[in-house]
Amino acid sequence: MAGIGFELRRMLQKKSLVGRGQAYAFAAIIGSGPWALSIVAILVIGLVNARHEFPSDIVGQFQVSITCLMASSLILTSPLQLLFTRFVADRLFEQRSRVILSNLFGALVVTLCIAGLAGMVALSLWFNESALYRLCMLTGFVTLCAIWIVVIFASAIKAYQHILLVFLLGYGVTLGAALGLRSFGLEGLMIGFVVGQICLLFALLALVVRQYSGDVLVSFDFMRPGQVYPSLILIGLFYNVGIWADKFIFWAAPLTSVHFIGPLYASPLYDLPIFLSYLSLIPGMAIFLIRVETEFAEKCERFYLTITRGGTLGQVTQAKQELVEAVRSGLLAMLKVQGATTLVLLLLVDELLVWFGISALHRTLLSIDLVAVVFQLLLMAILNVLFYLDQRLAALRLCLLFCVSNTLFSALSVYLGPAFYGYGFAFSVALTVGAGLLVLLQKLDQLEYETFMLQPVIF
Amino acid sequence: MMLSKPDAGTDITLLLEGTYPFVRGGVSGWVHQLIEGLPEFSFSLIYLGAERAAQGEMRYRLPPNVRELHCHYLMDGSELRPLPGREGDPAYFQDSARLHAWFCKPEGAPDNAWLDRVVLQKGQRQDACTMDFFSSKAAWEQISDSYNRNCPTASFQSYFWSVRNMHTPLLKLAAIAQTIAPSRIFHTISTGYAGLLGVMLSQRTGRPLVLTEHGIYTKERKIELQSMFLREQQGWFNPMPDAGMEHHNQAWVRLFEGIGRLVYGAANPIITLFEKNRERQIADGAAAACIRIVPNGVDLARFAPLRARRPDATPMVVGLIGRVVPIKDIKTFIRAIGVLSLRLPQLQGWLIGPEEEDPAYVEECRALVKSLRLEDCIQFRGFQKVEDVLPQLGLLMLTSISEAFPLVILESFASGLPVLATDVGACRDLIDGKAPADAALGRAGDVVPIANHDALARAAYLLLTDPLRWRAAQQAGIERVECYYQQSRVIDSYREIYQRAG
Repeated sequence: MAGIGFELRRMLQKKSLVGRGQAYAFAAIIGSGPWALSIVAILVIGLVNARHEFPSDIVGQFQVSITCLMASSLILTSPLQLLFTRFVADRLFEQRSRVILSNLFGALVVTLCIAGLAGMVALSLWFNESALYRLCMLTGFVTLCAIWIVVIFASAIKAYQHILLVFLLGYGVTLGAALGLRSFGLEGLMIGFVVGQICLLFALLALVVRQYSGDVLVSFDFMRPGQVYPSLILIGLFYNVGIWADKFIFWAAPLTSVHFIGPLYASPLYDLPIFLSYLSLIPGMAIFLIRVETEFAEKCERFYLTITRGGTLGQVTQAKQELVEAVRSGLLAMLKVQGATTLVLLLLVDELLVWFGISALHRTLLSIDLVAVVFQLLLMAILNVLFYLDQRLAALRLCLLFCVSNTLFSALSVYLGPAFYGYGFAFSVALTVGAGLLVLLQKLDQLEYETFMLQPVIF
Repeated sequence: MMLSKPDAGTDITLLLEGTYPFVRGGVSGWVHQLIEGLPEFSFSLIYLGAERAAQGEMRYRLPPNVRELHCHYLMDGSELRPLPGREGDPAYFQDSARLHAWFCKPEGAPDNAWLDRVVLQKGQRQDACTMDFFSSKAAWEQISDSYNRNCPTASFQSYFWSVRNMHTPLLKLAAIAQTIAPSRIFHTISTGYAGLLGVMLSQRTGRPLVLTEHGIYTKERKIELQSMFLREQQGWFNPMPDAGMEHHNQAWVRLFEGIGRLVYGAANPIITLFEKNRERQIADGAAAACIRIVPNGVDLARFAPLRARRPDATPMVVGLIGRVVPIKDIKTFIRAIGVLSLRLPQLQGWLIGPEEEDPAYVEECRALVKSLRLEDCIQFRGFQKVEDVLPQLGLLMLTSISEAFPLVILESFASGLPVLATDVGACRDLIDGKAPADAALGRAGDVVPIANHDALARAAYLLLTDPLRWRAAQQAGIERVECYYQQSRVIDSYREIYQRAG
């Protein structure tokens, strides 16, 4: 009889959605999380020293050096942050956790080589301070880069309390060492910082190594073509550049910048309010972490499980509605807590200025920044939800919008004059959050459609 | 694959699904003889296969009047990049919904306008339908609507992929149809995908479509599907059978039924081999006026000389000539030989036919032979030339649960071998005779119900042990084939059909 039967079995076969693990939450906040702690540390070092009539220009040089290290290390590692996050999450999903540790070492090798090289080039080109200072800068830079990488692997095991503890410990050492060594001037402060950071790095490493086991020491699987998502590289880059864009512009503009040391400029009048504002995000971030890691992650997993375990369309839609509800209530809870915090701080803004010794001229700037960072928190949350839904393209567009608009608006605000300082950043995050909410609503609305219909097909 | 440049348009384009020239079998043999018998016509072959990788080598030497051979594989494909979302053409999907409704409830003829639009994708930009189907919101709406209407308790994931997999070959056929050169006549050797391709080609070019159906495609697909669904539901590894999946299992059956109906509507003439299938075709939607019966024939010159090569005594060898596949019900053959060997210890049972099609089934059969301790009486002899094996047999036994018009019965008769067959397809007509004059020639063997190894063994025992009975059956077979089933009559019929149609 003619006819092939066409291997009907194959045509009936059930394909399954590509599973994806999630651990983006921490990655989303390492762009603004751990260094909130470092800001505290810098500020505290500055304040304590100021009380002890320490030469303020040295404190300033120290703060600017550290800020520079933070910014450059975060940006240098930014292309890798989300990539590793995804790599670790995928391996955990496949239950192949044995390959993680060796890849961490592989990632560290790559990072250390690049960071060391870049650091040496930068130092030899633009710095001619004392050898000890330059050595501290180089070590600090490389150590920070390594920390940002290790913290990704650490956050994948979701031992957030441990991570927080390790950070507190690391910064305790940093603070203690910096204060203990301050009699040695700038270099003393720097050595203190570097020692503290190295302690932090090894504590984090210990945390990770204890958790994973492996068969080989070093491997570079994460760089294999199939593992590399160009979109994640770009998202990381744009997001981190976006975060620093306004600061760079204020450091670079002659009217707003002050020279500190070597090639380093800063803009104390702009930097201090915004760093302070970032500190105000701590309650919101805590809520964000808790809600995202528990409720939303769970609903998200439920949604995909409902599909792969043979749920009906009704059940799938139901699971999606619960997911939407989790997003809504999570964002709302975060906004409530953060809103209340920010409101209180806005009422206390005059006192804040006095406490931190900021000129009253910057009252408006601080108020604007306090509000603007709430938007940045929202942006973080939205990006995170998009990552969970694997909407990398949408996330990329948002990060690009943030990066470009922050650059343009901040430049414009510098051009327009002091009355507009801060508005550039504020408008940029507000715009990005607005766009992000629209995108998120649309994506959630057609989640079933996209989940099913936009998969690759064989034709 | 292109054999030679066509200098002029070909006369006849044969649409072949999973058969000639890559698969050996009754239908393939028939196609080969048809082409060889009509050297005055030029042929071009369109072969539809499942996957290129599973494709064997060519099993026949193409006669010189075959101008071209093009192979297409419906299950092969390359991965489309994740497509960007799109809205989709609502009018197209409305028409598509109407076509689906007609598939479910075939009342009246389908409207040519929407048939054109949906099946042939007329007036659509190339690929637009494919892209729409795979990624548009309109397609999503249609799929989820139909799910909610028909089987809202089934696994949506399975339903969704089933719908995709069901439609992918159809979209592919539409793309293939665009590539096929015009021809005076399109002749499809089955309904199904090849038939649907014929419908598309005939619509596109306005040239006639001839359909020859040996078996009933729709029925065979149904058997295949049902046994598969049964197997799936009993699986040990699948503790949760897909509840509520009946709908889309049915949908596969409906798809093939609907395609069958489309092909019956477009083809004229519709040719079948024997009366039972004619009735079946009418029941499935073919117009009685279009149907012609042209039975198979056999080349007497090839088989008559074999009679002289028979030994005087009936060899105690029962043979089954056919592929080792479930539809031939090889297991019943094995059991029947088991029963027979109790009374005829010297008896041999030979399985003669290719074993590559369903290796798992072959394994099962070998295991059965072993468990019945029949290793000494049953031989798996693989593919052999019929002419070589026929004189060595004492009886041909066919145990199929479904057959059309087994050519091997005619070949047996022509070589002087009686046949014992199950009562399927044209077997009874061939063995007992149909018309009164035909029946008067006598019985050329015996016919028994399917899946009954005891009845098979009994009938075989009687034929093998009673020389008078055996001789009478042999004589009846020889006369029947010489009177009614000569190859030259088939060729003449098709010459006339081609001349009239084209």
